Amino acid sequence: MKILTVDNISKRFGSHLAVDNVSFEINQGEIVGFLGKNGAGKTTLMRMITSFLAPTTGKILVDGDDISKHSLAIRQKIGYLPESPPLYAEMSVYQYLKFAAEIKEVPAKKLTVQIAKVIDECNLQEVAKKTISTLSKGYKQRVGIAQAIIHDPKLLILDEPTSGLDPIQIQQVLSLIKNQREQRTVLLSTHTLSEIEQIAERILMIKTGKLVIDEPLETLLQNYKGGSIGALGDNPLNKVATLEQIFIDFHGVSAKSAIADNKTQ
Amino acid sequence: MNKIYALTKKELRSYFSSPIAYIILIACLSLFNILFFMIIDQNKEVSLRDVFQVMEFMFIFIIPMLTMKSFAEEKANGTMEFLLTAPLTPSMIVLGKYCSVLLFYSLLIGLTGSYYFIVEYFGEPDSSSMLSGYLGIWLEGALFIAIGLLTSSWTRNQIIAAMLSYIILFMLYFSVTFSKYFTGAAENFVIQLSTRTHLENFAIGMISIGDLVYYLAGIVLCLTLTRVSINHRSWS
Repeated sequence: MKILTVDNISKRFGSHLAVDNVSFEINQGEIVGFLGKNGAGKTTLMRMITSFLAPTTGKILVDGDDISKHSLAIRQKIGYLPESPPLYAEMSVYQYLKFAAEIKEVPAKKLTVQIAKVIDECNLQEVAKKTISTLSKGYKQRVGIAQAIIHDPKLLILDEPTSGLDPIQIQQVLSLIKNQREQRTVLLSTHTLSEIEQIAERILMIKTGKLVIDEPLETLLQNYKGGSIGALGDNPLNKVATLEQIFIDFHGVSAKSAIADNKTQ
Repeated sequence: MNKIYALTKKELRSYFSSPIAYIILIACLSLFNILFFMIIDQNKEVSLRDVFQVMEFMFIFIIPMLTMKSFAEEKANGTMEFLLTAPLTPSMIVLGKYCSVLLFYSLLIGLTGSYYFIVEYFGEPDSSSMLSGYLGIWLEGALFIAIGLLTSSWTRNQIIAAMLSYIILFMLYFSVTFSKYFTGAAENFVIQLSTRTHLENFAIGMISIGDLVYYLAGIVLCLTLTRVSINHRSWS
């Protein structure tokens, strides 16, 4: 069953075409990795799916409903974590989740149980009463995910959920996302490709606003090895089947300069 | 309705979680109290008319301080995206924020209610003109808040939001002063545009439909423009 249909979506900001005629579908229960360089159009596309931005052309259906006609009902079905977690620093974790639950229509009778469930799921018991401004970045990210799942959405959209975290925090967040697999569909973007390899079943890659790859992860890596994906066939790197190399090839960056970039970072 | 209530609660919590709310309350009340006693002592009359006029002028400075963060802070912190992607309509967001500042302002006005009893203790004031004066100053604050929310929705910088509010409020307050440079319909328009013209009527106990329409239409217009301003890029 299709949970998300993106049909010929484009978004133009003045003369800049940020998203160019993108189409794809996501089935219920999939974990989909969304890749692309900074400025490729990932965040813009995610913002259109979450109703934050209206597309210039095209149609988005969530669970069969057209977002242009049923925006409010669709927002109820989506959990969204923007690139920087949208937190109110002066609130405690519990107060913030209660506020998120109230505006996301969690029934009053279920409120306490639902907050407790999410706190448990995101491992926030220790910090539930603490003020958000005092939390570490890892905890803040988990609070961000907690608000995104507080209303039990069908589709979870995470924009770079592991950005700026240390390796232990990354593993904690990844494990939390993995645990969502049975309950909901997940679309997540990240720059750390090894992370996507750990959890995603399917890869969408966007380059200068255009969708250039839409493949199951396994198929993508196998095809790349065999050099059967057209654009990659002649590349000298095609013996190394990692998502990182595919990403570098598709974005026209030489491996040498990419490695140098990584070292300087 | 529950969502608007949740937003209002959240906003009020945000005010009272920092010392700013308490500082504004204490500073305003102290200032109003001093001015109240000075005016009563000087005028030797049991009327709050001049007190309301002083309060009106003070609120031009105070209210932008209350409203400047409403949307500007949400934009700067990235939480506007959280609100606009939650199942909330832009109207709910605007009303939730408006109600919270209005409640805070009502508390401030409510705390000056003692002036009524003090004046009544010392003489026989015209109760109806005092009550209509309170209604007038409350409506005026409600209009100033709507203007403050509008300017806050235009920018992510709180200082710029406050400055824009000051410009608009000063224009509304002082427009009557410039009426002498106009004639006919233009002169009348400039006079009617001024908040001073309308509060003056309330302060002398005269509640007219025209004055009520001025405040209510101004509030509705500003809140509608705020709604448009926060929602111009997304689906409604």
